[in-house]
Amino acid sequence: MENKQSSSLASFVDSTVVPGDVVLDLSSMTNQTIKLGGGLRQDCDAISAMKAGTLRFSKPNKYWIESSQKRYVPCVEDTILGIVVDSKADNFLIDIKGPAMGFLPVLAFEGGTRRNIPKFEVGTLLYLRVVKANFGMNPELSCTDASGKAAEFGPLKDGYMFETSTGLSRKLLSSPACPVLEALGKKLSFEIAVGLNGRVWVNAASPDTIVVVANAIMNSECLSGAQQIIMVDHLLKNIQ
Amino acid sequence: MEGRLANSWRLTVNDKNFIKTALLSEIRIDGRKPFEYRKISIKEDGSSEVQLGQTRVMGMVTAQLVQPYRDRPKEGILSIFTEFSPMADPSFEPGRPGELAVELGRIVDRGLRESRAVDTESLCILAGKFVWAIRIDLHILDNGGNLVDAANIAALAALLTFRRPECSLGGEDGQEVIVHPPEVIDPTHNEEAVMGGRMTTTVNANGDICAIQKSGGEGVPRRVIMQCLQLATSKAASITKQIKDAVEVFNTERALRKIKRHPTSTGDDVREKQN
Repeated sequence: MENKQSSSLASFVDSTVVPGDVVLDLSSMTNQTIKLGGGLRQDCDAISAMKAGTLRFSKPNKYWIESSQKRYVPCVEDTILGIVVDSKADNFLIDIKGPAMGFLPVLAFEGGTRRNIPKFEVGTLLYLRVVKANFGMNPELSCTDASGKAAEFGPLKDGYMFETSTGLSRKLLSSPACPVLEALGKKLSFEIAVGLNGRVWVNAASPDTIVVVANAIMNSECLSGAQQIIMVDHLLKNIQ
Repeated sequence: MEGRLANSWRLTVNDKNFIKTALLSEIRIDGRKPFEYRKISIKEDGSSEVQLGQTRVMGMVTAQLVQPYRDRPKEGILSIFTEFSPMADPSFEPGRPGELAVELGRIVDRGLRESRAVDTESLCILAGKFVWAIRIDLHILDNGGNLVDAANIAALAALLTFRRPECSLGGEDGQEVIVHPPEVIDPTHNEEAVMGGRMTTTVNANGDICAIQKSGGEGVPRRVIMQCLQLATSKAASITKQIKDAVEVFNTERALRKIKRHPTSTGDDVREKQN
């Protein structure tokens, strides 16, 4: 049994899957808790893929499917950048680059009560977390982490936001830091917020730094690690 | 309503402020200088495809024999159709053409007509009976800003390679420039979202002004207009050269294609002789 499970896992993790593939069989992995990320769904004991991409696994127990799209499909626990579109009595309507507007309850802030509802102008950029992403419902967002702390979430001031594919934004967040960010970080100081919905916000002291960082990131999409470093060096040389 | 909201494209407050402040220190979001054009590439293949940075426009020319208008029995007909696909920009709605689509068609139409790029009288075959109706279809494939320039170049490039049966069609040039204070040319998608006004001038390669279009927005002082016209004239020359180069490449290709047919036919002949 143990053998079979590991072989079935080994065959799918880091390989390409297409919608309908059954990637995991829960009946063979009792006593385990797993977390499902984007592109996976559970039908009784079978975990099947809902989109084409590469199945990724991160220790201890998280699975998701990685692909690169222009449109974002909301998924629980993703951190995203949203734009305020409208405010209603109970919710802010947030554009999250997805098929439906996200709802941000007016109380979903650290220490939020009816008395201190924040006011956001239309077009405000927010760093958010997805709390609920069910079918047929607008995704629910929050400006706090799971324990109710503000933890960096909330409105982003100044800076410049640009759009990338979802694949690039995930690459920017990967844990040995993305080569382009590492190379830029050695020479320039800047602030960055990456949303998994393919939005990146950059802020720095001077506008030209922002422009350089933004363009370096946008150009890095189809380049290998070494190429990214060369590209950044080239860009920085042109400025100085 | 909400479905439509989800599709409309919007800019954050941060971006608007950043684009404006950066422009004040002469920096643009893609690292260009205020009066620098994006890279233009023109592909000719019977139809033309113009790529201006992210913007892509396809131009297609077709001709049909029709009866001329009663009041102009000796003149051919030139009509322009613009097609804004929702694929190009989520804010374009399928179905009826929007305000921008109509305006774009009018600008291209006026530029081509006033510059006499198409000699409508030479399209006449039999006065009052048969004339050629030239139809230019402009398909916006991707909207990355400055559709007007891209559409004009595409229309002209398509016209230059179009040949009506057994006749040839002459061409002049149309080229224009878009402005807003602080003025820039060739604005990208995001810059268009923050601009206050726009002025389009159509200039031909000889520096003659063919048309000026000022659509709403903020007023433009006379000094700025003169400066824009100078800019437009200098850009017109370089872009016309680029269009002509692309046409030249296509014409040689077309000529080569014609030549290529011969070897196969002689090959057949040889085989027949052997038989």
